[in-house]
Amino acid sequence: MKTKKLTRLALLTALALIIFIIELQFPDIVPIPGVKLGLANIITVYAVYKYTAKDVFLIVTTRVVLGAIFGGNISALPYSLTGALTCLAGMLLIKRAIPVNFIWLSSIFGAILHNTGQIAAAVLMTGTLTVLSFYPFLIAAGCIAGAFTGICAQLLIKRNITDDKT
Amino acid sequence: MTKGVKILIAAAALLFVGSLVWILLSFRDSDSTIVEVVQNNKVIYTFDLSKEKDRTIRVNAPDGGWNDIKIENGTICISDADCSDHTCVKTGVLRSEQIPIVCLPHRLVIRYADKRDS
Repeated sequence: MKTKKLTRLALLTALALIIFIIELQFPDIVPIPGVKLGLANIITVYAVYKYTAKDVFLIVTTRVVLGAIFGGNISALPYSLTGALTCLAGMLLIKRAIPVNFIWLSSIFGAILHNTGQIAAAVLMTGTLTVLSFYPFLIAAGCIAGAFTGICAQLLIKRNITDDKT
Repeated sequence: MTKGVKILIAAAALLFVGSLVWILLSFRDSDSTIVEVVQNNKVIYTFDLSKEKDRTIRVNAPDGGWNDIKIENGTICISDADCSDHTCVKTGVLRSEQIPIVCLPHRLVIRYADKRDS
């Protein structure tokens, strides 16, 4: 990996972490585990469309692990990590079918997949199907949050703020 | 707009509306009064809320952590806990059969008992 690319990925990760930690200060809107805006995923969506699968994987895992440590919520790490990885796998596939003008759509699917991964992890960890009752809340919230972060990422990408010529 | 995009938009819209309907259906108060407390997939307590006296029980998690379960006037809630997110405390009292109180860090679930079992 070239130094330049390494620096870019590191910068993106740092940005995502900053957004993540600022978002932690927001009060919870709904008392359901896993419902949040996920603003840090603006960076994820951006990276999915701008970088290779391997690069995005590195950015996302680093952000999730460091975010759990900085946010002091390590017990939530299994949920966020499974969520992030399901989301990533799905988005890398779905991105092939969706052009740049519909990034918000692939972001919605990313959010839904993220929540699916989280719920699956929660079912495995608690060993009960009871947590499945949160699933519709997570899907509905995920659609809204995913559309929002997706639109943000789409604006960024369409403005073409690239670092190619530096 | 390609065909694939159209299908995906329709799928997303369907999921969104479907989940909203599901949410609306799940907001029903339960007529059952039997509540069970489940930890690590084992039922550790069963309460009949209509007969229980007001009290607070501390449940210790296997990995060290606790949740205070409060029973008051036929309602049950987690009044305090030392978990990291406090989602279980913010959930408030148990109302619906569909929406349990869950503390993910301590793998604790409070829910209405399944009528088929009782």
